[in-house]
Amino acid sequence: MTIRVKVLDRPIEQVSYVRSTLSGLMTTLKHLVDPHKVTMQYPEEKWELSPRWRGTHRMLTTESGKAKCVACGLCPTVCPANCIKLVPGEDEEGNRYPLLFEIDEFRCIFCGYCQEVCPEEAIHLGRHYENAEFSREAFVYDLERLTAQTHPVSDLWDPADPKSE
Amino acid sequence: MSETTGPKMVTLTIEGRTAVVPEGTSLIEAAKTVGVLIPHYCYHPGLPVAGVCRMCLVDVEKFPKLAPACATTVMEGQVVHVHSEKAREARTGVLEFLLINHPLDCPVCDQSGECELQDYTFQEGRAESRYEEPKRFNPVEDFGGDVLYVPNRCILCTRCVRFMGDVAHDPVLNVSERGDRAFIGKADGHDLTNVWAGNVVDLCPVGALLSKDFLNKARAWELDRSASICTGCSQGCNITVETRDNTVVRLKPRPNEAVNQYFMCEHGRLDYRWINRRDRLDQPQVRRADGALRVADWEEALDAAADTLRGRRVHVLASANASNEALFLAERLMAASGGRGWFRIARGAEAPLPGVPDLSLRAERAANATGARLLGFEELTGTPAIAPADAVLVLDDTLDGELPAGLVEALVRGATLVHAGTTLPAAIAGRASVVLPLTNHTEEEGTFTNLRGRVQRFLQSRTAPGLARPSWFVLGDLAERLDASAGFALPAEVFGAMASAHAAFSGLAYERLGLRGLPVLDAEARGLTVTDAVSA
Repeated sequence: MTIRVKVLDRPIEQVSYVRSTLSGLMTTLKHLVDPHKVTMQYPEEKWELSPRWRGTHRMLTTESGKAKCVACGLCPTVCPANCIKLVPGEDEEGNRYPLLFEIDEFRCIFCGYCQEVCPEEAIHLGRHYENAEFSREAFVYDLERLTAQTHPVSDLWDPADPKSE
Repeated sequence: MSETTGPKMVTLTIEGRTAVVPEGTSLIEAAKTVGVLIPHYCYHPGLPVAGVCRMCLVDVEKFPKLAPACATTVMEGQVVHVHSEKAREARTGVLEFLLINHPLDCPVCDQSGECELQDYTFQEGRAESRYEEPKRFNPVEDFGGDVLYVPNRCILCTRCVRFMGDVAHDPVLNVSERGDRAFIGKADGHDLTNVWAGNVVDLCPVGALLSKDFLNKARAWELDRSASICTGCSQGCNITVETRDNTVVRLKPRPNEAVNQYFMCEHGRLDYRWINRRDRLDQPQVRRADGALRVADWEEALDAAADTLRGRRVHVLASANASNEALFLAERLMAASGGRGWFRIARGAEAPLPGVPDLSLRAERAANATGARLLGFEELTGTPAIAPADAVLVLDDTLDGELPAGLVEALVRGATLVHAGTTLPAAIAGRASVVLPLTNHTEEEGTFTNLRGRVQRFLQSRTAPGLARPSWFVLGDLAERLDASAGFALPAEVFGAMASAHAAFSGLAYERLGLRGLPVLDAEARGLTVTDAVSA
């Protein structure tokens, strides 16, 4: 038994694609001339980050270019992700300084406790998000890498509104 | 029943708790018995009372003013308030004065985390200082020995001065200048080279006296601590082994009234680097047909060791730093076959601490020579008598890496050698048939017997390198293969077997030793107790 298909004989204005194609092109044309833009032209344009943005770390230095860190050991102690490795030592002048200071940015949860606890205002989170690397090892930042960073650092909180009220 | 002849007891109330203590006890000690810690700096139970810090002021009912708890003895019916408004206010004031010249360098201070000034300031100090003048500054001074003095941090409690004067009887330290210029001075031309001087670092409640050895090495809160016994000499000082990342970073004395009170000497304190050595033996090795030592698994190595010893007279050359348990099992091996046991021991000058009875850096520089003697080992003098048909078990004897003369000759003439040890000296590597890696005393648990016959436990503080096994475990397995006796699963079981086999240890049980130890039976009859006063 053959299947019979009922074919409706619709008016041409309902089945023609010309009309909808033209209406689509009208939308394109409208956006072509409309100055309102949604897409950000990254990387030519960049986001403006909040002053409280918490990105990968940066170690601040003294005027002489040495890391401000005195290896007090508070940041590895407070770190909930256990991502900071610190071995204290002594420099030529007998000052305490970090012999080894490494932050595993993959383990880091960017809570900002290290910046908050630091008595020397040495370690900071960065207002920065371009972190791409070609290897996993490169995400373990050593002291040299941390001090070489130049991006701005996080405020953690707004000084005018410390409790976010 | 006869009347008790002990001291008269006094009942008093401290912070609402009833304390019953002997007459003449200070309030600070009485408070400890009921679990109340009165904040203090200058007071230390091992030193004479000075009463200079004024930190332990407490409120005693019916006293006109606050009393220093360290210098006030208990009285019947006294009611003491440690945390009353008045007492707290006084202590807060004392803390504010102490902090006037104290630098805020906790981040770089080694004492940070174990600092009493930090603790009490956090507990009851002011949040902010009201002092606006510049702080006093004095440069860091090297006190000689292992001690560094940072005068800025000093709170002038004088514990160090009293220790050097009244306990070490070597009054090198003093309080120089007066008023706000005061600091701890050192007598001209003298250094803190006394072998007991390192204790001033432990006594210092703040970071003013620091150990150069420990300087900037680790923070107090990173350290893992476990109770142990010093292996520096036969005194058997109770110590705490402090490790960081499985590495021993410092040794500290652990209070034990019967042995070392609160102190330990520099020899023991700084003699820990060998514990961390990296050239450890970490795999069992067996000499193959080609004449070379090759790595084997434990079953194979133990079988080979049993074959090497079986049917021969087994002599044991043991370390005097081996535990009682290991020595007992080695002694069973040699006793079963009619062999003999020897140990070698390093000696040095004796250095008593005059202020403490019967405490001295002993001439015998090993922890368990007494235990070895009680278990039938003899000190090796001259040439050991070893026949070519005998076997020798070297139990971690690493003294200068050389084998005794007679032993080498016996080995050349056909005696066999099994080496069980923590390291493999070259002299042994060329001759041993089987090499069994052992853990050292920080990697296993067991007991030592000190020169007064006190059996003291030490606990494990690190993990063993590679496949190394505890000495009692290895020797137990070896004995199991040789005489079909049951092996041991715990050091406590070995200790139990030792207590039933040796009269000297009978009546002792591993669990009852606690962490302060117990004397062996008839220590007096065995000539182990003090016969004449050691103190000068």
